[in-house]
Formats: sequence, structure tokens, C-alpha cells
Amino acid sequence: MAAAAVLDGTPAVVDWPDRYHHVDQILDKPGPRTDPSFLAGNEVKDFLRNKCKILVIGAGGLGCEILANLALSGFKDIHVIDMDTIDISNLNRQFLFRPKDVGKPKAIVAAEFIMKRVPGVIVSPYYGKIQDKDDDYYMQFNLVICGLDSVEARRWINATLVNLVDPENPESLKPLIDGGTEGFKGQARVILPTVSSCYECSLDMLNKPTAFPICTIANTPRLPEHCIEWASVLEWPRVFGDKKLDTDDPEHISWLYTTASARAKEFKIEGVTWSLTQGVVKNIIPAIASTNAIIAASCCNEAFKIATSSAAYLNNYFMLIGVDGVYSYTFEHEKRDDCPVCGGEALDISISKEWTVDRLIEMLIEKQDIQIKKPSLSTTTKQIYFQAPPQLEELTRPNLEKKVSELIEDGDHITVTASTLPFNLTLRIKYV
Amino acid sequence: MSTDESQDIDSATTAVQQPDNKTRRYDRQLRLWAASGQNALESARILVLSASATSNAVLKNLVLPGIGHFTLLDPATVSAADAGNNFFLAGPASVGKPRAAEAVPLLRELNESVQGDAVIKHVDDLLADDDGRAYIRGFSLVIAHNLPTSSLDSLSRLLWEDIGDPPLIVVRSAGFLADFFIQFHEQCISQPHTDETPPSLRITRPFPALLEWARELDLDNMDPTDHGHIPFVVILVRIVDDWRREHGGALPATSTEKQAFKAAVRALRRKPDEENFDEAEAQAWRVWAEPAVPSDIAALFTLPPLSGADAPLSETTPNTAFHALLRALAAFVRSERGPGALPLSGALPDMRTDTTSYVRLQTIYKDRARVEKALFGALLAEECPDVAPHVDPEELDTFVKNAHHVRVLRGRRWGAWAADRAAVASSLEMVPRETATHLALNALSTLLNEGPDGSKVSAEALTEEVQKVVGEGVALPSETEDAIGELARAPTAELPNTAAFVGGLVAQEAIKMITRQYVPVDGYCVVDLVDSWTGLVGR
Ligand SMILES: [Zn+2]
Repeated sequence: MAAAAVLDGTPAVVDWPDRYHHVDQILDKPGPRTDPSFLAGNEVKDFLRNKCKILVIGAGGLGCEILANLALSGFKDIHVIDMDTIDISNLNRQFLFRPKDVGKPKAIVAAEFIMKRVPGVIVSPYYGKIQDKDDDYYMQFNLVICGLDSVEARRWINATLVNLVDPENPESLKPLIDGGTEGFKGQARVILPTVSSCYECSLDMLNKPTAFPICTIANTPRLPEHCIEWASVLEWPRVFGDKKLDTDDPEHISWLYTTASARAKEFKIEGVTWSLTQGVVKNIIPAIASTNAIIAASCCNEAFKIATSSAAYLNNYFMLIGVDGVYSYTFEHEKRDDCPVCGGEALDISISKEWTVDRLIEMLIEKQDIQIKKPSLSTTTKQIYFQAPPQLEELTRPNLEKKVSELIEDGDHITVTASTLPFNLTLRIKYV
Repeated sequence: MSTDESQDIDSATTAVQQPDNKTRRYDRQLRLWAASGQNALESARILVLSASATSNAVLKNLVLPGIGHFTLLDPATVSAADAGNNFFLAGPASVGKPRAAEAVPLLRELNESVQGDAVIKHVDDLLADDDGRAYIRGFSLVIAHNLPTSSLDSLSRLLWEDIGDPPLIVVRSAGFLADFFIQFHEQCISQPHTDETPPSLRITRPFPALLEWARELDLDNMDPTDHGHIPFVVILVRIVDDWRREHGGALPATSTEKQAFKAAVRALRRKPDEENFDEAEAQAWRVWAEPAVPSDIAALFTLPPLSGADAPLSETTPNTAFHALLRALAAFVRSERGPGALPLSGALPDMRTDTTSYVRLQTIYKDRARVEKALFGALLAEECPDVAPHVDPEELDTFVKNAHHVRVLRGRRWGAWAADRAAVASSLEMVPRETATHLALNALSTLLNEGPDGSKVSAEALTEEVQKVVGEGVALPSETEDAIGELARAPTAELPNTAAFVGGLVAQEAIKMITRQYVPVDGYCVVDLVDSWTGLVGR
């Protein structure tokens, strides 16, 4: 703490008079909609500025904005995690980065920038994965804000914070504020783990990624996208074997572009471009500074209100669509009793008696409210199918061809696990 | 290329021109507004009044995507409070120095291709003489945050004088509350990106090559694979053609007829898994729900330009090219040489079919779109001979492709709505919290004009002001107290999060105004960050 507070050899800056003139107007007295528990004046200021510890996950489009807003709002002990390095395509919105920073870790550059610009704020960066950290690490924070573009990482942190809740210890409940954007649209939400609807509860609200059937790609391409998918999904492994496609490597993109263009030409399909090739293989989501600013501000505003009780916080979902005018919708997303993370009840699944285990697994991958990439299946007494380790996979592989009804009685439970997700899903199987 | 000829990485990459640094930098936004939108941004010159946290937040979001030029106009010096809430000042080191001059370099370093300068002056000084007024009018967009009402009245009046004057975005905020309004004469949008109405595929008005294809189908003796690959468009054209022959030229109109039409689609299916026939049935609505000209577009044909109903289009008419294109569109629909409908966009959705059929269909659509665009161009030259040579071919192309959903918005003068007591009273009933918040912010502006330090502001004074505006007899909804209470709590507070939120919203609207893509907000956009909502009043 002491070392970090000293920048460039100069001592830590104390707050100058009137520094918080603006924020203090809110903290010195309640408004008409402020909860009576609000402790106006020095007590709330002391908590915000000297005691509150907040974690920001992601130092990208939302993260840069979140860090700046938190620092100006008076949070002084901020931690940030990001596993990425800076790319030139980040510079149209990630405003803490400059061309000279390309290639450097986002978390570290962002933290340094904030500390230089906003005196007296400590930002502690971690350049790595959220999965590297354990429960003790997450337990130290009062609040967590997420500005991520990965569904998988969000599911992980959501489940981790839900699991952290110990009913005996109120401190273990860490409010999670999550933001996301796409073009002129975005959303911000407040999750009180185990109390309100969690990220997993709303998984079915996500847009399903466009998936092209393999037979279209292989046999009847019509769109430039089909040719690009052919190049990346079928041709790359055929030509390069086990060599992994790196979508950040411009040479790899060039190869895909050339290969897709040649196929498009053969089939007289127009429209394969470099930009489209990159967009399809990297699943690029358009992103602009202004939308990130709105959503990040909304997240930080909720964090500020939760940390200070100066006004009621969002219950629990804010959705913005800025394509046609400014349209927004604030609503309460309902908690799901059969949510595998926070619900506690088994999820009822109705399947045919003829279904094989393999068919059931396919459904678990596909189904919008489940989306488990590599599920392993078991009951309290049986191993049905395990993705890993290899010996166990081999041992259970013959079950894939068997009918589920040969292994499981009607009304019995199946436990589904996946190495990427820190929770179990319990299915109650019904035959129709 | 056969699969054996797949190139290795080296020979593939040497042949490919990779995108330049500028394209890579702007990649994530070019996917939204493309090169045309980017060019518009880079040609824009904007004037921003006051280097407040909110103004600087707006500017940040415009400098990053690459606005051409900005001027930050502010007579103030940096206070200790500014140094605490404004990210684009150098903290305590900036205190006592001119606020605009301190902010400009920190904004410019976000994007070295953007020009920006600081002008340390009061807007009243510019408004006071002809040179100053001409200077303001020379920008492409003006944005003002928390400008005192006395200055704002003069500025908004100035920019309402001539239909060629730039749009003005008026932004106000205090504590958790804010609103903003775009004063503009006319906004013509050729690419709204709203995608609510897909362009017509002309199924009920097939062009010759399409009709020919549909008629030549030998449905009974076709190879089964080919049968499962007939594009749904061709299936529908064929069934419509047969239907018309049996119904004296009429299309299915009643719900019984529509069901019968769908049954006719199903009857042609040979196997249950022919997905092209599923698509044909699912898309059958196009047969009865696709007007030749959507009513929104037809309404534009009779919309007189702002310069006057009978005035000829000239260089000085705002949006000259757009209005010329609208006239050409009306002529196109009337023309005996045309299809009696909007020009074909040429776009084709993906559908269940094989490559050969899809490419064939795409080719006939593109060819036909080219023919109709040529006719459109000829009609433009006939209708507007003076303007036609000046219309950018790319603009014409975009207009034709989007002819089914182009939009024209007509704006109002800043503040005009609140003076319309009947409208305000009905709005208070329809959208009480949005209206109450807007009126409370109006009242706050009035009181701050009398005492900029907030000393005249109290809940009682604000209520009195609001009551004065709506009329003594009008009952105020309970939401008024919520809004007024928040403003009385923090009358001069510019919260960092509110500034960032409003800065994002206003920048989005500025981008829409400048690029003429997407649809800007029409009315007063009201923001409440206590209950986290945005709303609209005064449309
Ligand atoms: Zn849940």
C-alpha cells in the first residue's frame, strides 16, 4: 500500500479542499428517494474513500471507463484483472491506451494511467485470468464490477461469487455489477448473489451465435461467410493438421482470406473481404466509445449508490438500445428456481425413451439456457460419460451409444459437470 | 481451385494487402457506419460550450472515433472542484489555469488525427457581433452543457434563424438527473439501420427474369434433389402466378384465402423434409403484406422541402441532394417504365437452396437492381436537372438500396414545447416522471440564471417555478417532488457518473446527426440515475 501510494518518488497526495465538491452534495444529505439507513456526511465519505475495496474485471472497452469513473467518484482502493494485451483495434474506444502501448498488458497500463491522472487513487493490476484467483482473493472486496466480452468468464465469476455466499456471514455477499455492449446497444445489471437473479438465470437472453450447418459449408455454400467457415473449419485442419489457428495472427487471417476467396470464386460467390474474414473467425462484435461510456457509467453509478446508500440501486436490469432514438428499459429480471447456480432445484428435462446419451449431450450443448460446452454426466451411483481424464473417457465412451432410458429411471437425477464451470447442474429426467 | 492447390501461409500472405493502420484502428466502428460514416465524421467541425466534465466526456467519445475538428469554448479557469471531477484536467496542477486550454491537449492525445483548439471566451461575446455569430454558424454541430438560460436563449434563437444553420444539442445535468435536446431543422437519414422492414423481394410484382424462372419450373417431373433446392422466392412467385390465373388476377386477401394459399404451398411439397417449402410457407406473408410503397415512404413524396412547397431545389436548399432523390423516387414509382414499386435493393436473404440456384437468383436480382438504378438515375436527371449532376453516385446508390426505409425528421426550436401548456399538461398525465423531471430541470435553469452558485435553489422555489410554467390550476404529479427533491439536494453537482452517462448518450446522438446514419432522438431525452431510466418527452 505505502509503496504504491508513492508515485514517481513524490509522496501520496492528500485530498485538496473542495476536491469532492460535486460528489459531496450527494453525500452530505439524502434525497427524497434515499433509504433512511443512509449515513450522510463523514461516515459515508470515510467508508467510500478509506475502506471500500472494489474489483474491476476487464480493462478493455468498459474497463477503461469503469476505472476512470470509480477513481473520480472517490473509490481509492481499486483492483483490476485483465488477461489481454493492447491491440491497435482497441484504440478507437479504450481511452487509457496510446499507440505506444500496443502489445503491453491492459491491466498494468490502465492502472498506471489512472494513478497518474487521479492523485491518491491506488489501482492494483493483475495481468492474468480470473480463474487464477481463489475464494480468499475475492472475499477481500466489497463490490465486483465486470466489463467482459466473454460469456464463459462471466459465468465463472458469477458462480464463484454465488458459491462464496455464507448465510452466517453477511460480508460474504459481494454485489456483482455486470455490463455489456454491442454497437449502439448495451445492458447493465446488478446481481446480489443468491438474493436476486444471477447471470446464469438469464442465459437464455443471450443472442445465439450464428452457426452454419456443416453440410452447407461443405456442399452448398451461398454466402461469403460460408466460404470463410469452410476455410477455417475444414481447410485449416486439413492443410495444417494439429497446428492451432491463431485468429490474432495476421498471416493466419491472410491465409484464410486467400483460401476463402478462391472457394468463393469457384462458386461465383461475391463478398469475401479481409474485414469479413476477420469478423467471422474472431466473432467480432462492433464496439464504440459512446456506448461503452453509457454502460460503464451506469455500472459505476450503481456501485457508487450501493457503496454509499445515497440512493436506491438498480433492481436489477437496465437495457439500452440507441439505434432508433434513445430507448431504454429498466426491469426486474426474475430469479430462476431451477437455475443451476443459484436456484437449488433440479432442472426438468423431457426426452424421448429412444434418445441416446450422445443425443442428450448434444442437447445440453445446444439448449439456450444450458450451453455447456463439454458436459460430463453421472448419477450418485453411476458414471455415465466423462470428458476427462482420457482413461475415464475411454471407459465411459461406449455409453454414448446407449439409450438414456437403459441407464436412468424416469424421474431420476443426472449431475452434469464441466471443467470450465464451477458448478453442477442437476437434471431430472422425464420420458415422453 | 481444387483442395490440392491450397496455398501455404507464405505464398498466401505475400499476395494479400493487409488493412492499413487507420482501418485497423477504426475496425470496430467501421463495422457499424462504414467508410461513408467515417468520412462524414472526419469532415465534421464541432463547437462545444464549456469545458465541464460532461462536455469533456462528450468530446472524448467524439475524438476517439475520429471527429475532424473540435473547438472548446470556455471563459472559466479551473477550480479545485473541477480538478476533482474532470478526467481531462491534470488534477491540482490545472487549478487556476484556463479550463479549455487545460483540457484540449488531454483530449487531443486520445487521437492524433483530430484537430482541436481552445477559445477562452464567453459565448455572449461571440453572440454580440456579426463576426462572432458567423463563426458559430460555421460549425457543423454545436453542443452546449449547462449554459445559463440567458446565453442559451440567444444561441438557440441564432441557430434557428436560417434553415442552413447547424444543429444545437442542449445538455443539462444536476446530481443524478439530466436531459438533452437536439434543435435541428431537418435530418435526412438514408441509412437508419433499424432493419424493421426487410426490402421487398417483389414476389407479387416479379420482374421478367424472375417470372420466367418460376413459370419454366416443371414441378411434377423435376429431379427430387432439384425439387428440394428450389429457392422459396421462386416457389412463391410460381404459386402467386398460378393463384392469380385462378382468381381473376387477385391476390389472397381474406384469412381463408391466405390459409388456402399456404395449403397450396404445402401441396407442392414432395417430402416432409423439404426445408425450402417450409421457408416458402413461413415467408408467405410477403404475398399479402408487402405494399408497393410503404406508407411512411409515400408520405415523404408529398413532403415539401423546408425552403417552401414550390421553391425549386437549389444549392442553398438544405439536404438538396436528398430531396432531389426523394423526387426521383416519387417519379420512379409513378413511371410507366418502372415496376410501380420502390426500386429493387438487390439484397437477397440466405435461403435453403444449392449454390447454383442461389447464385443464379442473386445474379438476376443484382442485374434487375442495376437496370432499375439506371432508370432511377435517368428520372433524377429529368426531375432535377440542376441538382442531378451534383449528386454523389455513392449517395444515390445508398439511397436506392435503402429506399424502403429512408427517413426525414423535422425538428423544433429549443424550449418551444414547454411553452405549449396543453401539450405539457397532457404529457404530465401520459408520462408523469419524464415530464416532471424535464420541468424541474427547466425550473433549475431559471433559478441558476438568477444565482449561479445555487443559493436561490430550494424545493419550494423549484416547485413555484414549475407551477408557473404549467399554469396555476394544473395539479403536479407526485413524481415532481422526487425530481425537485434531487435537484434541491445537489443543484450544482456534476457527478462523474452522470457526466459519463450523459456524455455517452450525447456523443451517440452527435454521431447520428453527423453521419446521417441511425435515427437521432426526437424530443427531450430525460435521464434519472436514481431509478436508472431514460425517457422521452415533447416529441
Ligand atoms: Zn441464477
